[in-house]
Amino acid sequence: MRIEDHPVLEFKRGKKISFTYNGEKVEGYEGETIAAALHAAGVQVLSYSDRHRPRGFYCAIGNCSSCFMEVNGESNVKVCIEPLQEGMDVKTQKGKGEIV
Amino acid sequence: MVKTAEVVIIGGGISGCAIAYNLAKKGVKDVVVIEKGYLASGATGSCGAGIRQQWGTEMNCKIAKMSCEFFETANEELQYDGDIEFKQGGYLLLASTDKEHEQFKKNVELQNSLGIHSRMLNLDEAKKIVPHLNTEGLVSTAFYEKDGHLNPFHATEAYGKAAERLGAKIYKYTEVTGIEVENGRVKKVKTDKGDIETKVVVNAAGGHSQVIAEMAGVDIPVYSERHQILVTEPLEPLLEPMLMSFSLNIYCQQVPHGGFIMGRGDDTEPRDLRVTSSWQFLDEMIKTATRVLPPLKKARLLRQWAGLYNMTPDRQPIYGKVDEVEGFYLAVGFSGHGFMFGPATGLLMAEYILGEEPTINIDMLGLKRFESGDLILEPSVV
Repeated sequence: MRIEDHPVLEFKRGKKISFTYNGEKVEGYEGETIAAALHAAGVQVLSYSDRHRPRGFYCAIGNCSSCFMEVNGESNVKVCIEPLQEGMDVKTQKGKGEIV
Repeated sequence: MVKTAEVVIIGGGISGCAIAYNLAKKGVKDVVVIEKGYLASGATGSCGAGIRQQWGTEMNCKIAKMSCEFFETANEELQYDGDIEFKQGGYLLLASTDKEHEQFKKNVELQNSLGIHSRMLNLDEAKKIVPHLNTEGLVSTAFYEKDGHLNPFHATEAYGKAAERLGAKIYKYTEVTGIEVENGRVKKVKTDKGDIETKVVVNAAGGHSQVIAEMAGVDIPVYSERHQILVTEPLEPLLEPMLMSFSLNIYCQQVPHGGFIMGRGDDTEPRDLRVTSSWQFLDEMIKTATRVLPPLKKARLLRQWAGLYNMTPDRQPIYGKVDEVEGFYLAVGFSGHGFMFGPATGLLMAEYILGEEPTINIDMLGLKRFESGDLILEPSVV
């Protein structure tokens, strides 16, 4: 499923770009969020809590912190509101996130 | 609501609940706690949750040590069905001036003489405990590994439940509206849910202690100062001990949940009992925190709040009776460390009220000390 209508965010679909998800190449579109691109690619588990429970999309508007992933080496990125960019390195986050 | 009680304690924070527990444990029937909100809804629940024994006065050291030792076994002692989350990661105190370094040396000497095995650490040694510490501008540090963190809500709940099991009654969402004094004796506590006749009233009202004292016609030399505090989003473990600096004006600790809790003092803060938050606090707090622990630049702020420090002139608590009103007792003026002193407050006040041999003599912390002006000032408060 690709998210096209969103109550808060506006998607202006641009050109097709590629990024990596846990090291594998995935395609998405410029103008959509990382989470939207992953969802369209069938990825629903975005992180695992420190009790090892899977976490996915929840509020989808940048409030709830359920979609934290590691993006370009940085933890706790809210992928539901982070615009997708060419060549991004996106990884499943495990635990609470590191800042060092 | 009951009509009479042997003892009425005003305030359902750690002090009030610990006093109730200790009185009930010693066999006092009809102990009542009156709390305006929920348990720990005042100063206790808004505090920085630090447990420290590295103090600068003998009494503060003794009271803190006794309390800390209780916390070590509190889950069992209080038969708590939860966990008070006592984490002894230590306190690392940072000296940034030579004067502060000298003060720390004096404090450590005093602490050591009282069985608190704190020690001075140089900056390299401090770095081993906190690898990400920015030591620039620091002179030395003092450390004690038995200091730490404790969850104020769980700790108060643990005391409250234990007190209730022993027969004490806790009335939440009940506000004291007056205290009746007759012929120099406490007679009745009035609340918005009814009145309770009693001969003993304990003022454990934290940030509102002066308001309660006034109801009994007693003027106490305390004021409440707003202290602000914030917490970050939870992060993987990065900081084991509490970091604290009096000269830089910061305390900061990563709690077991993963969030960093930090606060600072500011004597220009309002003294009108408000507990609102300000952006100015955030601005200053963040500058200091990211200077002391640079990785925090990447941490996101989750929320901020504020609580009241009930300040005395010497920053030591006031324990004991009030001469002009018989039956009116004070456990007030904790100056920002009432939570960590809770167990001692509970036991010592119970002994005092019942006229028992005290585990620690608290006579020098009585209200009278302010008349003579013979004060020993606590130098180590943020």
